Amino acid sequence: MDSLLTTASPPGHDTAPAGLVPSHGRRSNMRSTISPLRRLRAKVVPALFLAPVTLYVLFFFAYPLAFGVVISVENYGFSALVHGSGPFVGLANYREALSDPVTIAALRNTVVFTVSSVFFQVTLGLALALLLNQTFFLSNFLRRLVLVPWLLPLVATGTIFAQLFGSQNSLVNSVLQRLHLVTQPIPWLIQFNWAMVALVIVNIWAGLPFNTIVFYAGLQDLDATLFEASRVDGANAWQRFRHLTMPLLRPVTSIVLLLGIIGTVKVFDLVMVITQGGPDNETQLLSTWAYSVAFTNFNFGEAAAIGNILLIICMVAAAIYIRRLRKERAHLGRSV
Amino acid sequence: MARLHGGMRRTGRELCLNIVGVAAIGLLVFPVWWALCVALENDPNFYATSPDLLPVHLIWQNVNVALQQVGGDIVTSLIVSASAAVIGVVIAVPTAYALKRFRVRYSSIVVLVVLLSQMVPGISLSLAFYSQFRRLDLLGSYPGLILADSTYAVPLMVVLIRAYMVSLPDELFEAARVDGAGEVRCLWSVVAPMSFPGIVTAALFGFLGAWGDFVFALTLNSGSSVQPVTLGLFDFQNRYQISWGPIMATVIVAAIPAGVILAVAQRWVRAGLRAGALNG
Repeated sequence: MDSLLTTASPPGHDTAPAGLVPSHGRRSNMRSTISPLRRLRAKVVPALFLAPVTLYVLFFFAYPLAFGVVISVENYGFSALVHGSGPFVGLANYREALSDPVTIAALRNTVVFTVSSVFFQVTLGLALALLLNQTFFLSNFLRRLVLVPWLLPLVATGTIFAQLFGSQNSLVNSVLQRLHLVTQPIPWLIQFNWAMVALVIVNIWAGLPFNTIVFYAGLQDLDATLFEASRVDGANAWQRFRHLTMPLLRPVTSIVLLLGIIGTVKVFDLVMVITQGGPDNETQLLSTWAYSVAFTNFNFGEAAAIGNILLIICMVAAAIYIRRLRKERAHLGRSV
Repeated sequence: MARLHGGMRRTGRELCLNIVGVAAIGLLVFPVWWALCVALENDPNFYATSPDLLPVHLIWQNVNVALQQVGGDIVTSLIVSASAAVIGVVIAVPTAYALKRFRVRYSSIVVLVVLLSQMVPGISLSLAFYSQFRRLDLLGSYPGLILADSTYAVPLMVVLIRAYMVSLPDELFEAARVDGAGEVRCLWSVVAPMSFPGIVTAALFGFLGAWGDFVFALTLNSGSSVQPVTLGLFDFQNRYQISWGPIMATVIVAAIPAGVILAVAQRWVRAGLRAGALNG
């Protein structure tokens, strides 16, 4: 990749390079004569540099999440909002949430939405990256255009697609009819299943640039001499893809996959703009359902319970992502 | 003969790649192009299926309506997003420096926590922000929205700036220390200037993260006078469902910051996207 952020150190950079050994020796000699004051400073200074981020994370992440856990076992409604705490109710909010068919639907919808979005984002992203990795007349120009969907805030993306799918005579319907793929216009946003299909399509579109760029970067990092050698050995394009590209790209693929899951389970904006969870909660996701329980019913306790279920899903995926990232560090190219 | 055959095959392949490439990217870009065409359509009550797909007439009427409607919101978005990015710089620069410079055990905890915090859904945070901001009278205010939106900027910027500083040679840090500079001076007058491109890239990402925010705007600032453009667009669309021209003009206007950044610094954006995904 043509860039500044990628010219990074190889793994194991932390150990002093051989050239620095003399100065290293001198330093350790000095260490024995360091005053206690300086040793104290060596401990305090890092703490001071890390203090802002520590306080920030405590106030803006740890506290809100702890708050979410606390109010999820309280009857935290409108009066609790005024007084600052509500009566303890144990796991009643969780029981209530999980016995509500809408929560179950939201859970199922979130899984369906995430799995189908991520599957197509990854496969189409890889396909597009492979295409753009070729050199042809327009390849440079097309590569520049890949990020265009990424320009839009998700609310704007949602607005465009609400219009493209929206009505009986919307563009998508008239194109489908003109191509004779359907005889009747599809009631995209108002009928069972179609609304979810439309949302998945929109989400794939919104996520494709990121997936393509990361895959493209991964492809660029692959060792070209390997491919040259296999070409000389007579491997065809499919064999090279199957036995070289795929295995070598596996670390990048798993990272893209996990980031896709983490990004998709918490999608909120697109649904709020396009369907608002409708028709009849068909596209209600955990995020939008938690929102509506909190801000239309003002039942913050139950909303927190729903939010915590979503949070657990996110954190599990995040933990797997971080483990992968660390395990694959050596194989993820130059940037890690 | 063989050479001729090979040449033809190459031409065929070249043609094929160009056609498939244009079709794929065309499909990807089309919705934005469509929005642009609808935005520049001259019929104010446009609700047909086919606006002019080559908006040569460049009617600015819809853009004017959009600016009247959400012009103030755009200014709000600029203020809020820039402030969130500034918070990001203030927090992330010393953090990234410390993570590169000091090998304390606490560092790895910080890295882990920052990575995890990137993954927290906004809706989970918004419940706490809402109830606390309510008490602190920060609902519907600039400071409230800026603080909430900074949660997009800070973790991402720590990851990006750290990735940049890690790539700087250790000798740089050593040299400054040998010259007798304290850590703060080393950061301020050597490492920070050297990291300037990385810090700017990270700040752009922080800005864009806050610019795209909807969940905090909706939960914390709905109905107030401090509305970012995403919320403005949402309300606009809900209120005037029919007038797609001005709505799409708003969509285009909302895409301008990212568009400018992408046009000016596409290389940095790509590098940032990649570094954000693959560093930890």
